[in-house]
Amino acid sequence: MELLAGRSGWPSILLGRAATLAPDAGIEAAEAAGAWSAWKNAVASIAPDALIASVERSGLRGRGGAGFPAGRKWRAVANADRGQRYLVANGFGADPGAHAERLLLERDPHGVLEGLALAAYAVGATEATIVVRAGSGSAAARLRAALAAAEEKGYLGSAVLGTSIRLSVTVRELAGSFVTGEETVLLRALEDRRAQPDQRPPYPATKGLWGRPTLVQNVQTLAAVPWIVTHGAEAFAATGTPDAPGTILLSLSGALGRPGIVEAPMGTTLRDLLDLAGGATGTLKALLVGGPTGGFLPAASLDLPLGYGTLTEAGALVGSGSILAVGSETSIVELATLLTRYLSDESCGKSIPCRIGLRRLAELGDGLCTGLCRPTDEALIRSLSADVRDAALCGLEAGAPNPLLSGMRYFADEFAAASAGGSAPAAAARPGVSA
Amino acid sequence: MTDTLPAKADPSLDAVTERLLTTQSPQRPLVTPAFDVEIDGRTLSARAGQTILEVCRENGIEVPTLCYEPKLPGFGACRMCVVDVEGEASPPISCSREAEPGMTVQTQTPRLRQIRKTNLELIFSDHNAYCLPPCQNRCPSHIDIPGFLKANTEGNFIESARIFKRTIPFPSVLGRVCPAPCEEHCRRDEVEEAIAIRDSHRYAGDQVLKAQAAGMKAPVPFEVQPASGKRVAVIGSGPAGMSSAYYLAIAGHDVTVYERDPAPGGMLRYGIPQYRLPKVEVLEAEYQGAWDLGVKLVTNAELGKDFTVSDLQNQGFDAVVVAIGCYDTNRLGIPGEDADGVIDGLEYLRIATLGLPYPGHAGTRVVVVGGGFSSMDCSRTSVRQGAAEVTLVYRRDMKDMPAASEVHEMLEEGARAIFQAAPVRVVTDAANKVTGMEFIRMALGAPDASGRRRPEPVPGTEFIIECDRVLLAIGQGPELSWTSRGADGVNASKQKRLAADAITFSTGRPGVFGTGDVRTGAATVVASVAEGRRCAYAVDAYLQGMDLEAIRTRQTLAEPQPEFLSIVPYTGETKQPRIRLKGMPIEVRKASYVEYEIPYTQEEAMAESGRCLQCTCEAIGYCDLRRQGIEYGTTLRKLEPGRDGTSYRSVNENRFTGINHDYLRDDSHAFILREPARCIDCGRCANVCKEVVGAACYDFMRTGFDTLVTTPLDMSLNTTPCVSCGRCAETCPTGALMPKPRVLEKYEVDESRCILCGICVDACPYDALRCGPDFELAHESREEPMIDLLAISSIERDSELSYVRRERDWLARARAQGRDIPATRLLPMLPTGVANGNGNGTSANGHGPRPGGGGGTHAHAK
Repeated sequence: MELLAGRSGWPSILLGRAATLAPDAGIEAAEAAGAWSAWKNAVASIAPDALIASVERSGLRGRGGAGFPAGRKWRAVANADRGQRYLVANGFGADPGAHAERLLLERDPHGVLEGLALAAYAVGATEATIVVRAGSGSAAARLRAALAAAEEKGYLGSAVLGTSIRLSVTVRELAGSFVTGEETVLLRALEDRRAQPDQRPPYPATKGLWGRPTLVQNVQTLAAVPWIVTHGAEAFAATGTPDAPGTILLSLSGALGRPGIVEAPMGTTLRDLLDLAGGATGTLKALLVGGPTGGFLPAASLDLPLGYGTLTEAGALVGSGSILAVGSETSIVELATLLTRYLSDESCGKSIPCRIGLRRLAELGDGLCTGLCRPTDEALIRSLSADVRDAALCGLEAGAPNPLLSGMRYFADEFAAASAGGSAPAAAARPGVSA
Repeated sequence: MTDTLPAKADPSLDAVTERLLTTQSPQRPLVTPAFDVEIDGRTLSARAGQTILEVCRENGIEVPTLCYEPKLPGFGACRMCVVDVEGEASPPISCSREAEPGMTVQTQTPRLRQIRKTNLELIFSDHNAYCLPPCQNRCPSHIDIPGFLKANTEGNFIESARIFKRTIPFPSVLGRVCPAPCEEHCRRDEVEEAIAIRDSHRYAGDQVLKAQAAGMKAPVPFEVQPASGKRVAVIGSGPAGMSSAYYLAIAGHDVTVYERDPAPGGMLRYGIPQYRLPKVEVLEAEYQGAWDLGVKLVTNAELGKDFTVSDLQNQGFDAVVVAIGCYDTNRLGIPGEDADGVIDGLEYLRIATLGLPYPGHAGTRVVVVGGGFSSMDCSRTSVRQGAAEVTLVYRRDMKDMPAASEVHEMLEEGARAIFQAAPVRVVTDAANKVTGMEFIRMALGAPDASGRRRPEPVPGTEFIIECDRVLLAIGQGPELSWTSRGADGVNASKQKRLAADAITFSTGRPGVFGTGDVRTGAATVVASVAEGRRCAYAVDAYLQGMDLEAIRTRQTLAEPQPEFLSIVPYTGETKQPRIRLKGMPIEVRKASYVEYEIPYTQEEAMAESGRCLQCTCEAIGYCDLRRQGIEYGTTLRKLEPGRDGTSYRSVNENRFTGINHDYLRDDSHAFILREPARCIDCGRCANVCKEVVGAACYDFMRTGFDTLVTTPLDMSLNTTPCVSCGRCAETCPTGALMPKPRVLEKYEVDESRCILCGICVDACPYDALRCGPDFELAHESREEPMIDLLAISSIERDSELSYVRRERDWLARARAQGRDIPATRLLPMLPTGVANGNGNGTSANGHGPRPGGGGGTHAHAK
């Protein structure tokens, strides 16, 4: 996807270098543009504990979807029992409609590696793994090249920058379904076990890879860390919103003039984001915000600012940072059903409400789409969704009812019409999940 | 070995240790810090590291689980063990969440029950299997029909009757008067014709009666419990009361039955004619089984007249069961109903069933109104009493008659029947004596809101049947005037029946229970017997001091309400027609009160029972899914047979329908039967096989809705590293994996075909095969078997005595036979002391000659 220019004046935290640097420029060029300076600085003069404190002060929140405060997670790992600790950088990019992880790894692998080194140093992890989706093109190759160069330079490896700090980094390409992006699933996959989630707690921070304390962090979160070290926690905290500082990579797709990825500060309104992507091509009907487990928002909610609290309240998610614009010709009933079916098919099949419940939800949605439904089906969808969500084992399961629920919340007329037997408004196009 | 290599522990040992450490439940020392948690309002002590579930189980608080295997850490697939932890928005699962000091936990909130119920409903919506066979499900008392038919086939009729008596104490009585709803749902019907289930238990019951006549005591289905010291009064000696008394007596209570009539039996004695149910030979003989158990009888004592409920309680009865039945015949509410010659059908039968002629009945013209069993009995008895003309009139069609199965027999005997006609008035002469009865034709009207077409009178179709007598048999209600005196708290329901709960049978008065027709309204004998038995369970629970309200919520006394989904039709069976009971010639039977059906011969009874397809789930009684399905009220109560030979699931009660999987049964393995259609994908077998046994034969395969816990590529277990340990079947919460029923007790080896390859010697996990003295020792010259038996057996199993015992017994047997067992061939799960007891234990080659030679040609598989 194309990298879209942000508004002038927006901070460029994640992709600051990427705009000016050729992707294959090599480590020297990257260093000239500022890469690895934070790492050298930290190794020379910042204690791990002070680094954690700085991340805590910065207010950085995890970009994996749930927005858990990064500093708190780091602290938990650092305080976990002694002995081997691991760091896992999640660059899997499970949402087929979001391309942020891949773009970041392609454009600035050094930024991710540097952030990873800082995080590993802070929590005392000596082994780190970066997970990349198998077959994601040049991302893995560029990452490997950057890793080799950094090791060559002595930034990573057995004696980092001549000190006793040890950090071995491996790149793992994993294949798997949507649920592989979930952190416990990712860890099981790294252990070469079947990719199924485990119940949390215990969280990976206390019991992660191979049963050891593990920091699992999205690559986008890590990429912000060098900036925090260089510019200071307070400077970072001043960007975005007080509740969620910093910037986020958003994948804008669907019925838009110029689909692409943009780095925007948290708190930007949905309207601003659509404008950057060329605006809606036709009449905008809805936005699917947060990927397949996200929710539909009506066109009327364009002034909603991007934030964890605001979106969840409105029935959507920050999630993978993907925003799909849905035009007026598309049936929300059909699209919500399509997403539910997708999630049902991507389920690992471990939890019973997920394996069967999502399928039944998809079938109930099918019933609405085809007119073969009972008048009570909408109520049944609500009731089943609540039970599936409350009994959920992992995030996929908990979020899977979102498309249908948010659809019913904002497009009640459409669902009522479908439920009454008149089929949903004509659906000329069925936009896929990926644009 | 070179000196440069660092000394390292045996890696295989490391692997075992690692596996032990990482997978076995931690053996926590008892001295870990203890703290208090509050669960369901109780303050309980928990130890650090214990899960909420472990604390609950230790303290007898039941939390349902399906995927939890106590040997392993919580898995989290079934989501059944969700509990509510104060201060947490969504409920955590108790098998994985550790108890923390000061935690407040609830295990049975409405919300949790709703989540569990939804889970179960979802499972059932993809559970292409059934618990009870259709016949057993349809039976109001859920008799183990395949069970007693199997015993019949083997000629073991006493055992057959004993199985029957587990649910109904009177196989011979029911063998005569039951309408056999089971037979309508028999799956043999898909082959050619349903099995004669009723006639089969009749035969078995009759064999018991014969043996009783020869001095044997009737078989008792359960072990009689020691005397509890509690006294129970049962009012009414009909089917419900006597069945209650029977099971209460077995439970160890002191039971006294009160009967208003001079002899016990209720409707069985006074409502069903002799030609259908011989009183002395069958009824009294079968009731003897109850008296044998110590049940006492007081006759000529009527509730409300001779005593009240209070009287009984004041006399020290700990519980009172009211089972007085329905004796108030309903009224038609038409003109002339009080005329001379209009007779209450029950009054008529009361005299007539005793074999006495009813005054003035011979030679009269009789009209019988009604369509139930009483109307049949009235009509057929009238024929026998010499009525000149008997006409039965029913307002609906013949197919709607409760007693439809008997109509043709009635017609054969000479009675007439008119359907779809409703009484308008009784025609009388000046002396108010009946001269006829006027009826009007009925036709089915337009469907009402429920879709049923109700019969409506067709104007202008009135007609009169001339007659001398009218017998009313249009149903009965209970007589409840006794509730007004000495029975405070006992009330009538809206339907003018005795108000009592359907599961606990409690009335509004503590210690007083109501069961049978008085609670349900007039029903069949089999339904009453079932009511009586279930009531006995409730009374027993009450007498043991259990909380009946909790029992009602959790439905622990509820009858199994199993699930039905599509059942694959049988097509491969050889056709074998039903053996029908022969009747006496019509001319003989219409003039006689002697039982008119001629019983089976033993050969016929065995052959007929042999037609049973035995379509039962082997896991019944052990299945956690079924137990929880009943507790959470999720299972379906109805079977709706399709006419095309398949049956489909009832959609009335499971909210979720949709496509479901159909998997093939795999019986290729010698010891383990796999029925994937019953699999709920809990993963227990996969976890146990991998983490405890080490073989890893199963795993989750495929993704999404199609996920199934199975072998790779669904291959036969024979192709996996299965060691036939049976642990998967042991852990399976349903009937998806079962120990295979074994018929063989011994294998024979065909020596003419054996090529002495020795593979059997290698493969046998119990070392049951050995090469003889004349041949090379096959397994010594081969590589070690693929399975890491050492690793498997190194796992601590001291607590599992069965394994140790089996090994010890095998060793003892082997030594007794003079076989020389080297310690290296022992499965090391034996405590070392036992293994080294052998003087030859450390010998590298301990395979000495066996006495008798010829070893290796026989092997006992047991």
